Amino acid sequence: MRVLGIETSCDETAAAVVDGERRILADEVLSQQDDHRPFGGIVPEVAARAHLEHIDGLIERAVEKAGITFADLDAVAATAGPGLIGGVLVGAMTAKALSAVLKKPFIAVNHLEGHALTARLIGNLDFPYLLLLVSGGHCQLLVVEGVGRYRRLGTTIDDALGEAFDKTAIMLGLGYPGGPAVETWAAKGEPKRFPLPRPLKGRPGCDFSFSGLKTKVRQTVEALPQDENGKLTDNDIADICAAFQAAVEDVLANRTANAIAAFRARHLGPAALVVAGGVAANAAIRKRLAALASEQGFRFIAPPPRLCTDNGAMIAWAGIERLRAGLTDGLDFAARPRWPLDPDAPAAAGAGVKA
Amino acid sequence: MRILGFDTATNACSTAIVRDGRVVARRLEPMARGHAERLMPMILEVMDEAGEDFSALDAVAVTNGPGAFTGLRIGLAAARGLALAGRLPCLAVTTLEAVAAGVPEAELHERQLLVVLDAKRADVYAQAFAPDLTPMGEPRALLPDELPTLLMAGGKGRDRCAVVVAGDAAGRALAALDAAGITAIRSAALDSPDAAVVAGLAAARWTPGAMVAKPRPLYLRPPSTTTPKKRRRTR
Repeated sequence: MRVLGIETSCDETAAAVVDGERRILADEVLSQQDDHRPFGGIVPEVAARAHLEHIDGLIERAVEKAGITFADLDAVAATAGPGLIGGVLVGAMTAKALSAVLKKPFIAVNHLEGHALTARLIGNLDFPYLLLLVSGGHCQLLVVEGVGRYRRLGTTIDDALGEAFDKTAIMLGLGYPGGPAVETWAAKGEPKRFPLPRPLKGRPGCDFSFSGLKTKVRQTVEALPQDENGKLTDNDIADICAAFQAAVEDVLANRTANAIAAFRARHLGPAALVVAGGVAANAAIRKRLAALASEQGFRFIAPPPRLCTDNGAMIAWAGIERLRAGLTDGLDFAARPRWPLDPDAPAAAGAGVKA
Repeated sequence: MRILGFDTATNACSTAIVRDGRVVARRLEPMARGHAERLMPMILEVMDEAGEDFSALDAVAVTNGPGAFTGLRIGLAAARGLALAGRLPCLAVTTLEAVAAGVPEAELHERQLLVVLDAKRADVYAQAFAPDLTPMGEPRALLPDELPTLLMAGGKGRDRCAVVVAGDAAGRALAALDAAGITAIRSAALDSPDAAVVAGLAAARWTPGAMVAKPRPLYLRPPSTTTPKKRRRTR
């Protein structure tokens, strides 16, 4: 079984071919970071234009590198939401067109399910498992009960964690995208020099909040002396990054510990904690969560960084999982800018409409 | 020659099969949104009705704009996907040309043609054509009161130019021309591209078997972006 996966929901254009034996036969990713850098963040129209420009070429190359022809594919899967809808439509329409010509099923993949099932692409893992999904657009704790079956334990009530990383980076003049830069600087800093809050830490439940932390970072930055070019000293930058990284780790560990308890209350037997999404590429966060999992007797699974950030392989794999479950979609499928994994989850207390 | 044509760039979704210059199946549905859901089913409907298979097509033809950014990308993404999987040439015509080609000859008699499409903003997308449909300039995005500058001055005052106006922003264009003292009539043609015309026009320009470049979108406007204000800190 071989499935083509197409990903165009944010600022990576990607196409991959994965087979039923978990082999990634081709994995093409084109980052648009250079296109968006001048704007200090992702511009949806710029992203959509770039996806259209490149996706067919990436697909052609992926099929070629996989050493197969289009006729060898069993299905065509594409991210159909959630995400920036202009880009999502480019990938979904390309996939629908391929599906029509090849007379193979079209599979509309929820981008979050792509992240959620990546752990099963890299190794044997049975349902259910606990998932911490942390990216630029999401921060959620979920029980993955099966393909298409999720129970949300908690979510951010304001900013996503990746967004907090990016905004911190911008305040410190580290540019876009900021996550990797903040992590690198944090390793050189002293985490205790600047006190930063740990929002919701110690409270019951599994929800997150990062806007207060972001505000405190801004106030800390504003209170520091700057040189005539408006620059902080390297020491100050490193210490703020270290304080931010430490606060984030404490919050994630505390909320995830609550989720582990909630998971244990319902599921006995072997258990696993999976971390996924772009922020899961952060090595210090992985280390902290691995320690927590080990204390609690949970297996810890973090996909390699290349499979944490947006990619086509996770969409192809989700396509394989859905195809095996008999879940295919019509060519009239409507792409969805918002598409929760657990549509029955109650709104988190204090959360905005996007949570 | 068998060509599948389609358009999703403006206020309708349309698909058609044209075989040796004859329209054998055609669909056109007015819609403000929902093109991404309807396009592929409408393509399969005309393929079925024409008894056509992708493997027997000679080319696909699509409008590449100007129009709604998302709409024209829906058509172009589908066209480029069909072309890739079916190893088919992908031909493009502009929305303005397609609307122009749909204007009845009787209306064009010694009149210039102004095609004007809604850009969902203060400006419109427009292009002027001579009575024989030769373009009199490039497609432009401009304010309605700038439209007279696209027309050829053929004399003074009322006789300056006899004009027929087509497209879904014809109403705004007629008002602007009237204000400038230019006599114009409104075309009875469809105010959005007809896929059958798109396929026919593309076929007429293409030498079967000739290689064509991938169609590129004709946006006419850069993305609206703002560069960040002076950063609090810069490194």
